Parts: sequence; structure tokens; C-alpha cells
Amino acid sequence: MMIVHPRYWKLGIKLPLTIIAAVAGVALTVGLAVIAQERSRIRQDLEEKALLVARGVSGIAYEAVLRNDYWSLFKALSSMTSSSGPGGVSNDAVAGMVLDVEGRVLAHLAPENHPLGLPLLGADPSQRQWLKDVMQSATSRVRTIHQDGREYVESVVPIQSNGSTVGVVVLRLSTQEIETRTAAAAVIVIGIVLVFGALGSGFGVYISRRMVRPLNDLADGMAALGKGDFTSIVPIRPRDHDEIGRLAETFNRMAGELAEKRQLEQQLAVSEKLVAVGRIAAGVAHEVNNPLAGMLNCLDTIRRYPDDPSLIPRYFPMIEKGLHRIRAIVQGLLIELKGDSAEIWGDGGCLEDVKDLVLVEIGTLPVQLHWRNQLGDSYCVNCGPMQQVVLNLVKNAIQACRDGGDVAFRAFSQDDQVVVEVEDNGPGIPLERLDKVFDPFYTNRPDGTGLGLWVTYRLVEKMAGIIEVESEPGQGCLFRVRIPGQALRRQRPTTEVA
Amino acid sequence: MSIGLSRRTVLAMIGSIPLAVGAKADERLVRVGLTAVVVRENLGFFDRWRRYLELRLDRPVRFVQRRSYREVMELLATGEIDFAWICGYPYVRRRDPEYLDLLAIPVFDGEPRYRSYVIVHRDSPYRSVGDLGGKVFAYSDPDSNSGYLVPRSMLTGLGIQPDAFFRLTFFTYNHAETVEAVARRVADGGAVDSYVWEYLKRNRQVPVDQTKVIGQSDEFGFPPLVARRSGDAELRRRMQNAVLGMREDVDGRALLAELALDGFVEPDDSLYDGIRNLEARMSGGRLR
Repeated sequence: MMIVHPRYWKLGIKLPLTIIAAVAGVALTVGLAVIAQERSRIRQDLEEKALLVARGVSGIAYEAVLRNDYWSLFKALSSMTSSSGPGGVSNDAVAGMVLDVEGRVLAHLAPENHPLGLPLLGADPSQRQWLKDVMQSATSRVRTIHQDGREYVESVVPIQSNGSTVGVVVLRLSTQEIETRTAAAAVIVIGIVLVFGALGSGFGVYISRRMVRPLNDLADGMAALGKGDFTSIVPIRPRDHDEIGRLAETFNRMAGELAEKRQLEQQLAVSEKLVAVGRIAAGVAHEVNNPLAGMLNCLDTIRRYPDDPSLIPRYFPMIEKGLHRIRAIVQGLLIELKGDSAEIWGDGGCLEDVKDLVLVEIGTLPVQLHWRNQLGDSYCVNCGPMQQVVLNLVKNAIQACRDGGDVAFRAFSQDDQVVVEVEDNGPGIPLERLDKVFDPFYTNRPDGTGLGLWVTYRLVEKMAGIIEVESEPGQGCLFRVRIPGQALRRQRPTTEVA
Repeated sequence: MSIGLSRRTVLAMIGSIPLAVGAKADERLVRVGLTAVVVRENLGFFDRWRRYLELRLDRPVRFVQRRSYREVMELLATGEIDFAWICGYPYVRRRDPEYLDLLAIPVFDGEPRYRSYVIVHRDSPYRSVGDLGGKVFAYSDPDSNSGYLVPRSMLTGLGIQPDAFFRLTFFTYNHAETVEAVARRVADGGAVDSYVWEYLKRNRQVPVDQTKVIGQSDEFGFPPLVARRSGDAELRRRMQNAVLGMREDVDGRALLAELALDGFVEPDDSLYDGIRNLEARMSGGRLR
């Protein structure tokens, strides 16, 4: 398994880990400090003990030294350093001895190696120097020394009475006790550290989860907002009224407002639709009414003069023209209304079929067509509406520059979208009319129905695409259609089956 | 056992009559001095012995311990104590006027006698007291027969001047501690009462196993119980009956068993002639 860089870790992991690390760090630092302090205290204890025991022996040694009562000296030394004695240091007493001023042994804890009455053994010059130091020291002292790789605390206490020194008590305690007691203390401290670390970490995990959960909810909510889904947002319930709580409240408010806005927009769209339908109905009525009036007029005249045969060749073409006009209007409307007809999917090549129709449309007009279809077979499109859209736009462009000009058609893919551009260098559309070009029955051509661009607009909208127009008067105009790739991709399997 | 039992039985019975009749007639304490001749550390035993004696004396009894023989002898001299269990050496010392009488003599291993042992550490190479020249030697008490007088006489018997023979000597004032001093090698050798050494051995006292006996003296009279001559005669009689009668009853025998003694017998001053001779020889050569 690959370790992901911490930068990509979730906050739900990072936060507890940080808290655990902080708690453990603090606990460890405190623990180490306590252990270090404990260790120095234990060492101090040991030194005090060494001094205390040596003083205890020294206190009763004076008389015994004067009386050569070696047995009492030995018993005092032995009992003071035995575990049941006041010192309680049996295991630590590395050495204990009473020496006279000449350095001879008066009592020793290891009499078999250091016989009474003989000078303390030790040919080692450092030991001789030590003995000299010991003898010269008329005051109690304690120090830590290392010998033979071992460490011990040594106390030296002179045996004195009224200023006269008759000998010294030397006691050495092993520092092993420091290690064992430090280890014991360390075990306790580490135990406490672990317990508090675990408690602190658990608390940290709890706190961080509590903090991260609303953040996750916020992220989910925002993702839903980003998708335009305003309905499935569940209001986040912040537990605390802190910064995160405020963030959640603000988000809730924003989501609510967005949902409200969407609702208003939908209502507006419905009413717009109604307006559009009304306008279409009015348009249809108006557009149909004009030829109807003419045709009725013709019929009326024919009926009035039934015997005048010259009327028929005069009026029939007029009636026919009127009917054609009505049919064109109805057909335009039908294209819009038969939206749910079966969809035929094909690749970009299906747009080539439109080219022939366009060439027919151009006929003898002085219009130059620049056709460039770069959609390969890797893109599939809904052929019917796409062809209609292209045909409408190109026909419009041809009409726009019918007195001479260039019409360019370009189809290509960009960012997973199918883009169709139709450009002409005709007179262009004035700015004030630009926003009306997609309205039904809006036309500036005497023979136009005003439905072509409107139908195109509806078709593009149906394919979830957008259509935009750029124009400057005198510079021609450019229509651009974008059909989202997502829609294409979703539809692709159907294509393959078909 | 050479001494008849029947007579002592009668004496014991006589002694018990006033015990029953005149209870609490006299509440004065009877003080008994103890020295290093017995292992004094067994406090439970002395408490039981005290109660045993109190029943038979009809008087409260206290055992009084002092470190050295000399201190106990002084207590006897001043009348601080009425009875004491002392060593034969202080007993035979001449006093003017004499203020001590023998009260009873313990019987150990069938005889009212004991010896002095010279002991060394179990692992040491010494085979006689003569090998201990220049070593450290532990005496028990300067007034002890077995722990001082006898070992010194053994050396003089070998033609050795005891004072210059050892490198160091010290007194432990307790035979049991002499054993300990040797066992722990504070002293290379020591002189102890044979009774104490055997007692420790029988009671499986640990340090005694670390020691071995490399020399034995002749037999001497066992450290006796003594009474102050000017003391209450009736009390002395009752005390004597009490200790002599110990081996006649169950409680007494149990106490004697704890002491590792067979019993107490009537005094016989001639038992201590051996010590007297020794003292005369030693002090004749040096002290007097």
C-alpha cells in the first residue's frame, strides 16, 4: 500500500493525530522531567543515607576505638548497614569500614578480605592517595566515585571527640539503587503518561470528529450546490456556536436562499413560457390572418363573378401563395412541437448531408461557402436536430449575404463539447435587435416566417446546449452552438446498439 | 546421677507448702543476675522460667542482665541482686570477706562439668591454638574461665606468652557472639564455653555451623548458681529447692530441655578446685 503524503490526509485523521502528538509530547516531556528530578532526588537520598549511616557508626565508635572493642565496632557497622538496621542498606553497602588514623582496619564489613589490625590493602597509588585524603579529612564528606567500572556513593565521617580524631568511618553504597528506583519511578511515570496520553488522545479524537463532521457535511452540501441540486440539501446542524457553527449557519442560509431563488426562477420560466405561448398564438393568428384575408377576398370575388373565367388564373395563384404561406408557418410550428420524435444518432459525418441541401440553397447566388467539418466519427450527435440547426443557421447566413459574401461553417470538438460555428460577412444585426433574434415571428425579411432562429434556439435548448450570437453592424455575424459532451457521452451506448 | 532423688522430692514438697499458704506474703522482688554463661537472647524462655520460679518462691522474680561478669559481681556485692548465674572463675576469686555461697550446679550431658573450646572458622587451616600466632583472637570476658583463663593457660602450657601471641584480641562479653565473630571471620579464632557451643549447635543456630573446634581443655566445674551469703536464708532455701526440683516436674523438665541441661544438683565446692589451680598458676606467674 502506498503511503499518501500527509498533505492529502483527511482532517479527520490529521486533527486527532496532531492532538495525540501534542498530548503525547507534553506528557512525555513532563514525564521525563519528573523522572530526571526523581533521579536526582534519589541520588541525594542515597548520599544522605550514606552520610547518615556513617555518622551513626561514627557516633558510637569513639569509645569502642579507645577500648579496642573491635567486636562492638563490627556489630555497629554491621547492624547499621544491614537491611533490618536503621540504614536498611544491606544490598547497597559495597563496602563499610572503620579505619584508625594509621589506616589500619578496625572493623570491616568483609573481614575475611580485610583482616583487623592490618593496613587496608591496596597497592594501587590512587588508593593510597585516597587513603591519605580520607585520613586528612577531618570533616564529613560524601562523593560519587567510579571504580572498576562500578559507580558508588562514598561517605567518609571522622571519629572524633573533643577535637581529637581517632579514626574514620568509610561507607560505600552502590548506586544500583538509583537505577532500580529510577526504573520503578519511570514505570509509574510512563504508566501515567500512557493513561493520560490515551485519555487526551481519545478526547482529541472526539473533539476533532465533532469539528470535522460539520465540515464534511458542508463539503457535501457545497458539492450538491455545485451540481445545481438545491433540493436534496439537508441543513447542517452545528453542535457548537463557534466559527464552524457560524459557517454552517451561513451555508444553510445561503442554500435556502439559493433554493428559493431557483424556485422563483422556475416560476418565472413557467410564466415566461406562458407569455411565449401567448405570443406564438398571437403571432400565428396574425400571420395566418393576413393570407387568409387575401384568400377570402379572392374567393369572394370569384363567387361574385362566377362567369368571369379570367379571375381564376388571376386569383388561384394568390390563393395558392396564401396557403403555402400558412403551410410554412404550420410546418415551422410542427418542428417545434414534434420534439419527442425518435432520435437518430450518428457521428459527425451526418452533418455532411446538410452540405448538399445548403449547396442547393445557394444555387446561383454569389455566395462563397467555406465548409469545414472536423467532427470525426468519435463524436456522436443527435442527427435530426443537429442537421436542422445547421441547416437553419447556414440558410440564415446565406440569406444575410445573398447579395454577395462568404459563409463559413465550422464544426469541431472543444473541451468535450461539440461546437458548431456559422459565420457570414453580411450586414450584421444591429445591437438593439440582437436580443430579439431568437423570438418567434421576429424577422426582418419580407418573406420570412420569423420561426427559423426560434426553432433553432428550441432545438439547441432541447439538446442541453447553448447558442450564442456575436455581431457588429457591417461586420457580419457569428452564431455559435455548443452541445455539452456529457449529453453526448450518455447517449453513446444507444448509438452503438443502433 | 550420683545424688539421690527421693530426698530432693521431699524438699521440693516442703518448699511448696508455704508457697500455697503464704501467697503474696512478701512482694519484694527477687532479682537474679544472668551472665554470658547462658544464651541470654532467648527472652521467651527466661519469661517462662521467671513464672516458674515465681510460683515456687511466691515472690515476683526479675532476671537482671549485665554485659560483663564484673558488673554482675558488683551487683551481688552491693546486694542489688540476690542470686546469679556466674562463671566458675569469678566464683573462685578470693573475696574478703566472702559474700557468695554456691546455690546449685547445672548438670550438662550427665556431668556438672564443662570445657573450654578453641574454635576457628570452618574453612580455616588452623589445627590448634598454637597455629593462631599473629592472628585475631576473640575472648568472651576478662573474668571468664572458659573464654579467657583457659585459652591463655593453654598457650602458657605451650610455652607461649599469650599477650604477645595474637595480633589483636577483643572481648565479645558473650560466648554466642564469640561464635558469631569467628563465623563471620572478624576473629580468626576464639574461646568459648563448650556448653554454649553445644547448645547453639543443638538448637541449629546458623553461625555455629561456620565454626569448628580445634582445641578442648580439661573439664571444669560448670558455671554455678550462687546466692548472696547475707541474703534471706529462707528465700535462699526456697530458691535452691525450686531449681533442684526442676527435673522432678513436667514444667521444670521442659525448661531444662530448653536450656539443654539435665538439671541442677546440690553444690560441691570441690568441683571448682580445677579453676582455683588454674587461677593460682596464671596469676602466680603474672598478676600477683
